[in-house]
Amino acid sequence: MTFSARELRQLALPLLACIALLAAGSALITWTEGGRAAEERALAAARAERSQAKERLTRIAEEEREVKEKLEIYRRLKDIGILGEEQRLGWADAMARIRTERELPDLRYRVERQQPLKTVPGKPANVEFYASTMRVTLALLHEGDLLHFLGDLRASGNAYYAVRSCSLARTGQPATLSGLSPRLRAECEIDLITILDRAAKA
Amino acid sequence: MKRLLYFTADDHSVYSWSRGRLALEAKFPGDDLGVTAFREYLSGHRGALFYAVADLAGEDFHEELIPYLRGGDRELVVERRLAQRYRDTRLAAALSLGYVRGERRNERLLLTSFTNTQRLTPWLDALAESEAKLAGMFSVPLLAPVLAARLGRRGGRCFVVTANSAGLRQCYVDEGRLRFARLERTVDMAPEVLAAFVRSETGRLAQYLSTLRVLPREGPPIQVLVVAPPAQRAAFERALVSDTRLSFLTVDQSEAVRRVGVKAAPAGMGAEQLYLHLAVRRPPREQFARREDRRSFVLWQLRRGVLAAGALGFAGCALYAGASWLDVVGARAEADLVQVETRTAQGEYQRITSAFPVTQTTTDNLRATVVEFTNIARQTAPPERALVYLSRVLDDFPLIEIDALQWRVERPGERGARASAAGAGSAAADAGRAPTEILEISGRTGTMRRSDFRAITAEVQRFADALRADPAYQVRRTRLPFDVTSEGTLSGDIGTAMDAGEAPRFTIELARSIR
Repeated sequence: MTFSARELRQLALPLLACIALLAAGSALITWTEGGRAAEERALAAARAERSQAKERLTRIAEEEREVKEKLEIYRRLKDIGILGEEQRLGWADAMARIRTERELPDLRYRVERQQPLKTVPGKPANVEFYASTMRVTLALLHEGDLLHFLGDLRASGNAYYAVRSCSLARTGQPATLSGLSPRLRAECEIDLITILDRAAKA
Repeated sequence: MKRLLYFTADDHSVYSWSRGRLALEAKFPGDDLGVTAFREYLSGHRGALFYAVADLAGEDFHEELIPYLRGGDRELVVERRLAQRYRDTRLAAALSLGYVRGERRNERLLLTSFTNTQRLTPWLDALAESEAKLAGMFSVPLLAPVLAARLGRRGGRCFVVTANSAGLRQCYVDEGRLRFARLERTVDMAPEVLAAFVRSETGRLAQYLSTLRVLPREGPPIQVLVVAPPAQRAAFERALVSDTRLSFLTVDQSEAVRRVGVKAAPAGMGAEQLYLHLAVRRPPREQFARREDRRSFVLWQLRRGVLAAGALGFAGCALYAGASWLDVVGARAEADLVQVETRTAQGEYQRITSAFPVTQTTTDNLRATVVEFTNIARQTAPPERALVYLSRVLDDFPLIEIDALQWRVERPGERGARASAAGAGSAAADAGRAPTEILEISGRTGTMRRSDFRAITAEVQRFADALRADPAYQVRRTRLPFDVTSEGTLSGDIGTAMDAGEAPRFTIELARSIR
């Protein structure tokens, strides 16, 4: 059966309506499928969040004990000035005081630029660890002075002092009558480590 | 709304049909005036859907055998046979009566047409001019097998006898296929007279068909289904007594109407209402109208089909989308429930943690700060421990004089890099290993003679052994003032001034793992 142009025109409207209905149906499916996918994603996220919240709740007793233990250390770090901004003036004061108190013939130091330390992955972004390397040259009367210097430095606080290297050598100078001529020379490289917790309350 | 054009010898009527309800819309005389009036009627119903049913005497039935063919070939042969049989084939039809098995397989055809088609064609032309959709042109006999089936006679041979307004209609149906029909005009008769007329005419029909050998002379009696006019069943049953040749079954017209499904019909309408209703509800495949006459109807069906396909597709999509939406609603409800549970757990967590000591920071930061600081502290060591240890060992070695000390912390990676030339260790192997503190001791063997190799070597070895006393420390390397191995060169200068010169130097490297 062949159709005339007039008959084809009569068929055009139903065909268009059919296409429009099928397109509307497809659009409806696409829309609901999109909605379903979004809801399924939201449900998966909600389930993960619930699982995390419940897990935290079950671990809360352990967490309480951990908080108590760690809080003690945290407060200590804060008290001795490891936690907080660098205190370079404090370091300079401490060096001057140690030299005077220990009557060291010579003490020279140089603190390098602060550098961030590599830390463990998964650490919160607002906790940063920094290290400033200090190179110290000391003239000593006795090797015990080096131990005293390091002990005093540690006690002065304002950073965690991680000694990287220390060398001790004779100066070769002969002993004088007064006995105050330095006989030893020490060179140390020490990392002055500080921690910056941006969430910490003043 | 569908319309039926019912042709009789006297006049032609238009009935409307809607959900089983028949209503008379118009009646036209069968002459030219009637055609004109019909055209006027159609002008008010352009594009209407029509079913034409003819209930006329003089319908021809003729059996033919054609070779077993299919498709276009069969159509060509049928067209040729119709053309040979009838002068005007516009209203001619060929009904298949099945196949005959013999030497060649043949098909039996019942060719049928009206003896005077000229009476009908002006009416069909009027329909075509008004762009009416003609579903089909049927005759009452074509609908008789359907009526027989609705009245419970689906197989075997039977006569269907009805009292129509056109007259007494008798149709012979064999195995659900029409074989013959006739219309005998009737005037108003009393029930008993009409019943007797039915009896006599049925007998004549049986006799006629037997003569033509359409009916076998012997065999079981033929079932005769008689639709009696309303309230005349008793009179019919009294008159229609079965015998060895004919077995009568009388059905009241009201009962037949119920079985066929007619909901309403004009008062006083004869049994033709059964045929008209069946023409709409159960139209047989075979009918008289040509393809050209039904073109508008086919096009209309196609348009409806296309629309229906679209609607069906949309309904399917909507159904699927509905099912998806139910999933969405379910997922949303579950997510809400999960969020409530999450908030409850978080609230409980907050309530418990609010009783914790004041931390001055978040719990995560507290943990990270302390854990990381502990790691850093664990990987560092003060030099004091090694220096004090050395000092204690030196107390037992008055001859040893220390010139220089070099203390450092060696990370696993640093050592691996430096030892790579010796092939010892790699960065991968070093990973996870603890750092090591190294103390390099450079010294001399005080007052010993420079040429006393044995004594100097023994003293240095004894010193090195003493440094190993604490298992935490390892002597990694010992370098003597001279080479006493077979691979090296050993030289001496005994008795000269050089022999009393500066004491030979040695180096010992002490290591301790920082844990």
